[in-house]
Amino acid sequence: MKFSDETLMAYADGELDPATRTAVERAIRADPSLAAKVRQHAATRSNVFAAFGPIADEPVPPRLSAAAHSGKVIQLHTARTARAEASQEKRRWSWPEWGGIAAALIVGVVAGGMGVGSMQDDVQLAATAGAGGMLVAHGELADALSNRLAGAAGQSGPVRVGVSFEAKGGGYCRSFMMGTAAGLACRNGAEWRVPLMAEASKGASGDYRQAASEMPPQVLDAIDARMSGQTLDAKAEEAARERGWKR
Amino acid sequence: MTSAATSLPTQIAALLPRLRRFARTITFNREDADDLVQLAVERALNRSTQWEPGTRLDSWIFRIMKNAWIDEVRARMRRDTVFAPEQAGEHVGDDFAEAHQQRMAIQKAVSLLSEDHRIVIGLVLVDGLPYKEAAEVLEIPMGTLTSRLARAREALQGLLSDQARNVS
Repeated sequence: MKFSDETLMAYADGELDPATRTAVERAIRADPSLAAKVRQHAATRSNVFAAFGPIADEPVPPRLSAAAHSGKVIQLHTARTARAEASQEKRRWSWPEWGGIAAALIVGVVAGGMGVGSMQDDVQLAATAGAGGMLVAHGELADALSNRLAGAAGQSGPVRVGVSFEAKGGGYCRSFMMGTAAGLACRNGAEWRVPLMAEASKGASGDYRQAASEMPPQVLDAIDARMSGQTLDAKAEEAARERGWKR
Repeated sequence: MTSAATSLPTQIAALLPRLRRFARTITFNREDADDLVQLAVERALNRSTQWEPGTRLDSWIFRIMKNAWIDEVRARMRRDTVFAPEQAGEHVGDDFAEAHQQRMAIQKAVSLLSEDHRIVIGLVLVDGLPYKEAAEVLEIPMGTLTSRLARAREALQGLLSDQARNVS
């Protein structure tokens, strides 16, 4: 069966009905070029979301909150003029909270000539955009995040859980490795959101498994930025799991 | 929090972070974006009787914002105002990682897209609206939405490849 680029895009966006989705999945397995197209669509989405997503985490200016509670209509250029007169100094464009930017960072899932390699299909498909564009883990990844203890000897299967910790904003986060990717997942309600996923660099030998013992620096930075206190020890981790990762 | 129990201003206030993010995707700087959010919020409140409870408030306000921006763009063109993306985009320290540069590169590329393409990308890829909701915001059929989104992605890929070529 042939699929149009729009259908492949809709697949990457999670917009297909179950029957078509199954058919596309079958076709992807049979044809690496289709898989590459789907990956590109998914990568574009991830990259664009990573570029703009964190804006929603910035504090809302008071004038906008105030506007929500009044009903006066103004014209856009009136507002601009008024503001320009009010502030003689031009406000510099700055994002004070680059630390918080890790909020939605996906590094290395780059398509279209910007460079880095490509993640494996299973990794791409392990986390897809959910409500609000946030990546959400599902399938094997979600399963491992919910059930596997980082300290457990000899973790098997495609997903390995790294460290678990309590985030500053409350809630638990866990780092993970999957195939060629590494990332951070944070529990939000009943799901694991994936604020960051990066490609683990290939080792000199080209062996991913060997390289996978090293978390990419972006992931380590994100852990540092979010962690409150220390990583959970085996006992605390098990207790957190028993509570369903609720605090 | 149910919509029946929460006042419209409170519901709108809860949407502000998303409205700001959408505005920043379609405008070229932070101040215009926040002005646009303010305008859309005020118009929404003024026309609150036009909103049907039970329908999506977010889609309704996105539509108001989109229309306000298109009006603004046309008005500016009439006024012949210089109208260009900020040259350097957002300034951050020089020593930030490649990932930050990549984010800037993507913001820059999005700013070079057409109005239609920026808006559809803002709704679907940034805000994460389902196709159906995005089509309703834009008041276009689903088929038009998907083809517009596909073309927007293609255009963005093209710009990003150009950037990559120019850098290397």
